[in-house]
Amino acid sequence: MMQYLVILLDDTSVSYCHADNPYSVRRLIGLNDLRAGILFAMKQNLMIQFVYPDYELPQEYLDLIDTIDHHDIKPWYAGASPADVTVFDKSVLAGVSPVNQGVAVLRLTKAELFENVEAIGKILLKMQRLNIVVTDIETITDEELKSYAAVLEGLASVLKDEYLAGRMPQLNLLTDRMMLDRPNHCNAGVENITLAPNGRYYLCPAFYYSNPDDSIDPQDIRNQQLLRLDHAPLCRHCDAYQCRRCIWLNRKTTLEVNTPSREQCIVAHTEREASRQLMAAIREQAVFMPEVEIKELNYNDPFEVRKEW
Amino acid sequence: MSIVRETDTGWQSGMAKSITFIVTKDCQLACKYCYLVGKNVKERMSWETAKAFIDYVLSREDEFREESVVWDFIGGEPFLEIELIDKICDYLKLRMFELNHHWFNSYRFSFSTNGINYHTPDVQAFIKKNREHLSIGITIDGTEKKHDLNRVWKQAKADENGIIHPSERGSYKDVVRNIPLWLEQFPNAGTKVTISSADIPYITESVLHLYSLGIHQVNINVVFEDVWQEGDDLRFEEQLMTLADEIIEHGYYRDYACSFFSEHIGKPMDPERDNQNWCGAGKMLAVDAAGNLYPCTRFAQYSLRSKKALIIGNIRDGINYNLLRPFLTLDRTTQSPQKCLDCEVASGCAWCQGENYDAAQTSTIYERSTAICLMHKARVRANNYYWNKLFRKLELEGRREEYENNKRDVKPEIC
Ligand code: SF4
Ligand code: SF4
Ligand code: SF4
Repeated sequence: MMQYLVILLDDTSVSYCHADNPYSVRRLIGLNDLRAGILFAMKQNLMIQFVYPDYELPQEYLDLIDTIDHHDIKPWYAGASPADVTVFDKSVLAGVSPVNQGVAVLRLTKAELFENVEAIGKILLKMQRLNIVVTDIETITDEELKSYAAVLEGLASVLKDEYLAGRMPQLNLLTDRMMLDRPNHCNAGVENITLAPNGRYYLCPAFYYSNPDDSIDPQDIRNQQLLRLDHAPLCRHCDAYQCRRCIWLNRKTTLEVNTPSREQCIVAHTEREASRQLMAAIREQAVFMPEVEIKELNYNDPFEVRKEW
Repeated sequence: MSIVRETDTGWQSGMAKSITFIVTKDCQLACKYCYLVGKNVKERMSWETAKAFIDYVLSREDEFREESVVWDFIGGEPFLEIELIDKICDYLKLRMFELNHHWFNSYRFSFSTNGINYHTPDVQAFIKKNREHLSIGITIDGTEKKHDLNRVWKQAKADENGIIHPSERGSYKDVVRNIPLWLEQFPNAGTKVTISSADIPYITESVLHLYSLGIHQVNINVVFEDVWQEGDDLRFEEQLMTLADEIIEHGYYRDYACSFFSEHIGKPMDPERDNQNWCGAGKMLAVDAAGNLYPCTRFAQYSLRSKKALIIGNIRDGINYNLLRPFLTLDRTTQSPQKCLDCEVASGCAWCQGENYDAAQTSTIYERSTAICLMHKARVRANNYYWNKLFRKLELEGRREEYENNKRDVKPEIC
């Protein structure tokens, strides 16, 4: 069921997910489009998530935003006001001290991730929840996957110590799989859609970024069933619950929104395995979530075992 | 021999990899129903491309593990490129032997031809050379009238874009003169007949005509495209019932087969047990003149009306296996609308992945086109009539048991 409407307030609104925002010229959403979007959300019972650019909005925008209950997603910059979700880029790794509030999203390339495990570990300690988004995951090689596993191992050891000390910071890549008993996919087009600054609707911001002609009719999304989990032949059998099952990456890499690339699957399964090992490591020293079991698997791409279903 | 013939299963069906060379997009004909919307005289495969493709495939024995291989040649009209094909086949045999490839003892060359050049010395020499490993299907649509409705010669000149347009001249006579030679060389060969809206009134006479030419196996299907007019299903049903009467009355069922009638169609399907995909796209591989690779020829641009070609790689960079994943995970339920899942007569209702893709509202292979819905239902009604009538006759003659004991297990044909 549709639950959220993401509204990109400006073409330069921060990207909080896989796709980079290609726009660098400011263009605010028209006030009428914003008003229409808010009205649509009210009538459809959708919670709005406003996505901000890195500058202060005109007062009339702020007033309009204030007319409805909502969440804010903001980029981190000096002087930015607090938000439900704050998006950081690699500059935070160079010693900036982020405030411990809400959810933090850290967008990094593979290389940035591999080179900064220690700094990320430190940031993690200051956060209640950190979501790491690797922006070029679709090109990961088998060799890089080993580095990815090593990064996760490093972060897991930070988390293990925290958990044993009674603190419970969350890191999407490692702790979500332990906490979840069902998939937590992005569900773009099923639970959320996006209104872009051009006044048109999209499955998610990434679809707007990659092709502004790729808009949808929010009342009648064509082939919407293919966005649902029950129409995803691999994912519906999969228990890498923390995976975003990114339909934009799916379409980019396999041309089908319901089929993930090998890369998306092996990355998610590496995270799943690291979560399993983290859990086992904590359990060696304490009783920890005894009701949860993450089974050991002998594959990391569900495609390899598809014939068994 | 069984007393009732049904459709032959394909050679090594299921275990063979089908690898198709689109050797030319040219053809002498410009059939009106031809799905190849972009046929043209410009794109002919070069030897360099063919060789590079063969080298690519044969050097990856671990990626192509199927027990057998069917090297398939299509066009346009493949025999227009007999010289190239001969060279390709010689090279394939040589390389499979040199590499001690597991396909060397299990390969076939397969052709779908319009039959016009069948008798020419080059084609005949090729046939003699490869006789043991060949299957050749000649397409003939039935009576002269029916055949010439659609299968017409192209205009002498292509247009400025190299696109071929139809003329008024039918090709029946040019094909039928080669049928005796073909049947002499391939006595068990079958022909493929495609039915479109305008062909419906000619079905019965056409099938009987093909039988009279000595063709024992008539593989016939309706086009998947949305071409059907109101009332076509009832006209179709009527034709099939007349055909059923003729086949039963004259005992053709003993020695001849028409794929329209099958005991296995028209039943509900279990969403879990019967969930496999119909079409073989993705398990096949096709290469065109530019060296681009496709999951099946129907995804090449010249076969598509409204979508972009779905290219899964090329002979230089190889196959992008991510692009094959959707094909290899496709199942029946995921792509079918609810009406098909609930359908009481679903079995045997076919689809073509390429047509699904071409007709889909979004760019996907996961939206099943049901343009043939009413036609399938009509076929099921006539099919039920056929078997009820035939079985009753066999019972009255005391031959039902003999039939049951001798009948072959027939799997539905995939495209
Ligand atoms: S589909 Fe979801 S996970 Fe993928 S880029 Fe869009 S919002 Fe992010
Ligand atoms: S790991 Fe792969 S199969 Fe599993 S949910 Fe993610 S994308 Fe789907
Ligand atoms: S297309 Fe029509 S006849 Fe075929 S399975 Fe679907 S509902 Fe049944």
